[in-house]
Amino acid sequence: MEKEELQPAIIQFAPLDKLLSLGRANSLWPMTFGLACCAIEMMAAGASRFDLSRFGAEVFRPSPRQCDVMIVAGTITKKMAPAVKTLYDQMPEPKWVIAMGNCAISGGPFAYEGQYAIVEGADQFLNVDVYIPGCPPRPEALIEGILELEEKITGSRRWPRVECG
Amino acid sequence: MTLEVVDKSLETFVLNLGPQHPATHGVLRVKLTMDGEYIVHAEPVLGYIHRMHEKMGENRTWAQYMPNTARMDYLAALSYNHGYAAAVERAMGIEVPERAEYIRCITVELNRIASHLLWFGAFVLDLGGFTPLLYAFDDREQILDLLEAITGARLTFCYFRFGGLYNDIDDDFITGTRAFIKRLRSRMPMYHDLVTNNIILIKRLKEIGPISQEMARRYGATGPVLRGSGVNFDVRKHEPYSVYPEFDFDIPVYSEGDSMARYMVRMDEIEQSMRIVEQGLDKLPEGPIMAEKVPKILKPPKGDYYCAVEAARGSFGIRLVSDGTNTPYRLKLRSPTFSNLSLFSEACHGMIMADALALMGTLDLVIPEIDR
Amino acid sequence: MLIDEIKQALANLAVIEKKEVKTETAAPAPAEGETDQADAGKIVTTEVIEEPALHQTDYAQKGYHLDITVAPDDVVSAAKQLLKLGFFIEAVTGVDWIKENQLEVVYDYNHWDECCRVVVRTFLDREKPEVPTISEVYSGANWHERETHDFFGISFLGHPDLSPFLLPEDADYHPLLKDFKA
Repeated sequence: MEKEELQPAIIQFAPLDKLLSLGRANSLWPMTFGLACCAIEMMAAGASRFDLSRFGAEVFRPSPRQCDVMIVAGTITKKMAPAVKTLYDQMPEPKWVIAMGNCAISGGPFAYEGQYAIVEGADQFLNVDVYIPGCPPRPEALIEGILELEEKITGSRRWPRVECG
Repeated sequence: MTLEVVDKSLETFVLNLGPQHPATHGVLRVKLTMDGEYIVHAEPVLGYIHRMHEKMGENRTWAQYMPNTARMDYLAALSYNHGYAAAVERAMGIEVPERAEYIRCITVELNRIASHLLWFGAFVLDLGGFTPLLYAFDDREQILDLLEAITGARLTFCYFRFGGLYNDIDDDFITGTRAFIKRLRSRMPMYHDLVTNNIILIKRLKEIGPISQEMARRYGATGPVLRGSGVNFDVRKHEPYSVYPEFDFDIPVYSEGDSMARYMVRMDEIEQSMRIVEQGLDKLPEGPIMAEKVPKILKPPKGDYYCAVEAARGSFGIRLVSDGTNTPYRLKLRSPTFSNLSLFSEACHGMIMADALALMGTLDLVIPEIDR
Repeated sequence: MLIDEIKQALANLAVIEKKEVKTETAAPAPAEGETDQADAGKIVTTEVIEEPALHQTDYAQKGYHLDITVAPDDVVSAAKQLLKLGFFIEAVTGVDWIKENQLEVVYDYNHWDECCRVVVRTFLDREKPEVPTISEVYSGANWHERETHDFFGISFLGHPDLSPFLLPEDADYHPLLKDFKA
């Protein structure tokens, strides 16, 4: 039998994909998952001065079933890690993870030789999309992280990049 | 409303509150045994953010440990810096110059106002009202702007050094702080109109979650939790440290012991802290901000030392055990919310879940401080 | 004065500690020809005195007022005396003295009315550290003792629940011991 050639799809979904990803990127629903100090900067980013809702990420849902992005803000301890994994598994696809703060990136100031309690970085057991360094990062840094994620989802960046002068 | 649990054979179920929950302010897990809507038994489970601060104390030099103290209670980080710096200064016998002490008091009180504002916003959010959070955060951002200009940090400050401070304040800070106090004073009546006199808040907090003085004594509760039960105990007046004896301020005490009393204590403390900041700015002396002969490598004499300060949540104590080397032998951090939360199990027996959350909100929990 | 009251109440609970006291007395003049310069002019005598381990300390230097060392079995009676006079429990913690092969348990108490900090200490054998619980007297000590057990492995006899608290539920290590390796 000769191999059948795959016919190209009759209906091209590319513009629809682009539209869907534009919609997803501009209405990311984060999960309220503040673990430690970075949670306060996440709350400040959602509050009146820095206002994350300008970028669509206003609706912080407590339930993982209703979220797109999990912002891991704070230190992950070995006791907490199974709960984090459970919450990540409960999120429906498509989902993304932002590691906010030094603790979520690599253990932060609590990673020293002989430490017994923390997991050194969220990427030990999760797929992290965006890393935001800082201890804690400023709310503007979290906004920049959301914009980086939007760029990852859509492929292009709609908002101007702030240049240091 | 409470339920008299007379029949232990009632059908109960176990409900898990947390560790991921919008109202627990961090990762606290509470195993609730419920009879319908009423709580029969509550058991807090901790350790989800245990970051080994005490073990790290043995692995760091005295000066390297300062950033750790800010990450315990990050909302009122300066008072923790103060407690640690004062403990080591007591052990070494270092005397802090007067200008540095005044600046320490001013910045600690500003931090206390910021912490109480955030508590206010988050607490009313737990009860279901979203608006006060945005107003409170706006005021808090102004304080953080002032503190960022002199310390360089917004949240986890590391401003104090052994013997004083590392950066002096300037005229911009002084004029900015005075303007801020004037603004906040004019906004406090709005908070009281919008929230404190709101019939829904009154119904949710009055006579909810009573904590008696005898219970507070057995559990070692301190801070606004204790002052809301009628005990006039504040480390700033009881065991004066730094330059607090120079200031004229009151300690708000309410004797009802319910959630409304604890709420009012914190709102009044904001006003008293503003008084202290104003007096501090008026009386600020000139002079150095750092003590003169502070050795580069600190080696406190052998022995153990204790130092307590009044943090925003209660009496924060540090017990240092030094063996004469440049790292602590043992560093015990007595966190106020640890003792405050220990009475939750007894206090919420028989309450409905919504009232128990109101009680937990008035305890003002910061979980990383409990777990250390 | 509160501090005198509590000193009196706890006086018979303190253990007896031995202290070395060195006294110097002038020596007789050296004989002709001897030029031993090293200890010319003094004789040092060491005597061991026994006194109760109940000290009133300098608050400005140490941060607490009264320091008492008790035997492990007496911590409950000390706690009862302190509760009778209205003290509250601030903290319970441990210190690992690995060189002396001892574990120390330190109880910090304070009072609402008058500034009077009392520190009660007890020393336990490092191989088998056991001390009765004071959680019947002070309910707040329940959590403090559980945390101390987590960190040091000290058994508090009579404690309702010594399962791991700050460490994961299945932890069987005690991290704050000096010979702990992660």
